[in-house]
Amino acid sequence: MGLIKNIKLYSEEIQISADKKEILTSFLLNGFPTTKDEEWKYTSLKKVIAKEYRIENKGKIIDSSVIEKYSLGFKNRIIFSDGKLINTPTIKGVNITGFSEFESATTDSILQLNKALSQNGFTISVDKNTIVENPIEILFFSTTENSFSQYRNQISIGENSEVKFVERIQNLNSSSSFVNHFTQTNCAKNTKVEFNKIQNNTAESQLIDTVNVYQDQDSTCNINTLIFGGSFTRNNLNFEQNGSNCESNMNGVSVLNDNQLADNHTFVDHKSAHCRSNEMYKGVYLGHSKGVFNGKIMVRPNAQKIDAFQSNNNLLLSDTSSIDSKPQLEIYADDVKCSHGCTIGQLDDDALFYMRSRGIGIEEAKAILTYAFAFEAIENISAKQVKTLAKNLLAQKLNVDLDFSL
Amino acid sequence: MLQIKELKAGIESNQILKGINLEVKAGEIHAIMGPNGSGKSTLSAVISGKEEYEVEGGSITFDGKDLLELDPEERAHNGIFLSFQYPVEIPGISVSNFIKSSITERRKAQRLEAIPSKDLLKMMREKMELLSIKKGYLSRNMNEGFSGGEKKRNEIFQMSMLEPKLAILDETDSGLDIDALRIVANGVNKLRSVDNATIVITHYQRLLDYIIPDFVHVLHNGRIIKSGGKELALELEEKGYDWIIKEADKKWA
Ligand SMILES: Nc1ncnc2c1ncn2[C@@H]1O[C@H](COP(=O)(O)OP(=O)(O)OP(=O)(O)O)[C@@H](O)[C@H]1O
Ligand SMILES: [Mg+2]
Repeated sequence: MGLIKNIKLYSEEIQISADKKEILTSFLLNGFPTTKDEEWKYTSLKKVIAKEYRIENKGKIIDSSVIEKYSLGFKNRIIFSDGKLINTPTIKGVNITGFSEFESATTDSILQLNKALSQNGFTISVDKNTIVENPIEILFFSTTENSFSQYRNQISIGENSEVKFVERIQNLNSSSSFVNHFTQTNCAKNTKVEFNKIQNNTAESQLIDTVNVYQDQDSTCNINTLIFGGSFTRNNLNFEQNGSNCESNMNGVSVLNDNQLADNHTFVDHKSAHCRSNEMYKGVYLGHSKGVFNGKIMVRPNAQKIDAFQSNNNLLLSDTSSIDSKPQLEIYADDVKCSHGCTIGQLDDDALFYMRSRGIGIEEAKAILTYAFAFEAIENISAKQVKTLAKNLLAQKLNVDLDFSL
Repeated sequence: MLQIKELKAGIESNQILKGINLEVKAGEIHAIMGPNGSGKSTLSAVISGKEEYEVEGGSITFDGKDLLELDPEERAHNGIFLSFQYPVEIPGISVSNFIKSSITERRKAQRLEAIPSKDLLKMMREKMELLSIKKGYLSRNMNEGFSGGEKKRNEIFQMSMLEPKLAILDETDSGLDIDALRIVANGVNKLRSVDNATIVITHYQRLLDYIIPDFVHVLHNGRIIKSGGKELALELEEKGYDWIIKEADKKWA
């Protein structure tokens, strides 16, 4: 049968509007993207969608010990179980509710599907002039075997406000799961927003995560993505800068092993003058893993004085791992600074020798250097707690002893 | 302790060390001097096991063991320490975590129990005070953004934590201010005992006022062309290398 059939059957069970029906029809006509689509050239969904899925929205009650196990330890927690919102924190100046309908772009069939059939997600609005000190943690649990879930979230941040999010999607069984996640974020004037995505799901987990960010003048939005787990991960981060003096920052670390695949697709649409974008993606590939990076930067004709920086550095630590990296610059203004760089390398021999000469065995030395390589992208995380957490997760993943955190 | 016999080593087809003979006994301090590019750093790298250099002939034994058979980390576990002429920056790893890793790994190799973090920390603080190293230092990333002199002090700090049997100091004095030089020399002297030995590679006689060598060797073009007592360093300071090199070139021509 496969996922398309599962979706068809599901769509017959639920009531949807005529608009949505139209979008769904279009989706079913096009199907999921294939490697013939330019944007999916290096990332095949074939195996992902050939499997059978259950689409469940019941929201089983989960034990608090399970929540604690996967929680990253923040006070403010939004928790979902199989799609259902089961916990919302109370934060002054922040209004948090469940799923709501909103207009969004349907530039690809993944987003069409999300728009047509999503019934779950959160809606967050942050009042004007509100500084939310503690990061808001958002946990999405799935208890259903072979589940296909879709989340559709909307965030609006009022002028002069600041907020940070830490997100984690977690499958609670060892069967496969597939999540189609979409978050639309509107950043008003002079706002600061940071997303931290901890993608450390089970070995059979699959994810497509799209974030569309619309920025007004003087706003800063950071998205940090840590990919350690999951068999298939595709991140689409799309920024639209609609006012002057905006800043969009992306940092990513992927540490992959076995047959894992992770694809980071970024797009910054510089529509206004005097804006900046910064991307630093680091990939570490072991086993048969595969990485994809596609960084598109568009500078529109009137967007002068743009500073756009992009780097994608990769370590291939096995003969059977691979990376496809593609910068895509489209520049239609003449007074801009754009730079991009991509490196593929091995570990530095001089540094390895330095460590070994101090008695650190070759495996441990390699792990430490790998950690050091990836660390640079973590260093930019502004929320201190999240940074520490990310450091520890990375160290754990690489078997590096950091117990001596002074 | 250390015996080097007819050691020949190089990189690809370029022979850098052309037959080195050197014996270092426990309790001794040897100074190696010599012009730029003569092979001093290469010799120290070969003793520590840098794989980039190919050993084409000769032998190195350390406490009776064939050193050339051992990996760099095994050599370190056996008590060899090299203070690098150019210490390497390792971002993301704090000085304290780095030192902890090296001590823990060595103890593991020696089948000794790990030292609890708390005790290690105390040791680090003591050694830091001895070397007048500033407090915030432990949590900084290894050598990252360190000034030239700070890197060198960090090398000696690690040495004092690891308490090696044989320490090779490759131009540790270069880049140190006068006070630091005295502090570092003090650190070396404090570690000095009848059981360990030090090889000091330097361009300047000045250091040897603080760390007084038993022997001074001149390395030129991959060979030790002259050895003598501490007076030799004074003579070199006064007369330069020319006179020895001329003699040697005649001999090896
Ligand atoms: N990795 C290498 N690749 C190529 N040549 C090398 C390499 N390492 C050393 N050499 C060459 O070998 C010679 C000796 O170098 P070495 O660094 O040992 O000199 P040194 O005596 O330590 O000099 P200095 O006083 O300047 O530190 C030089 O000519 C150098 O260029
Ligand atoms: Mg040298």
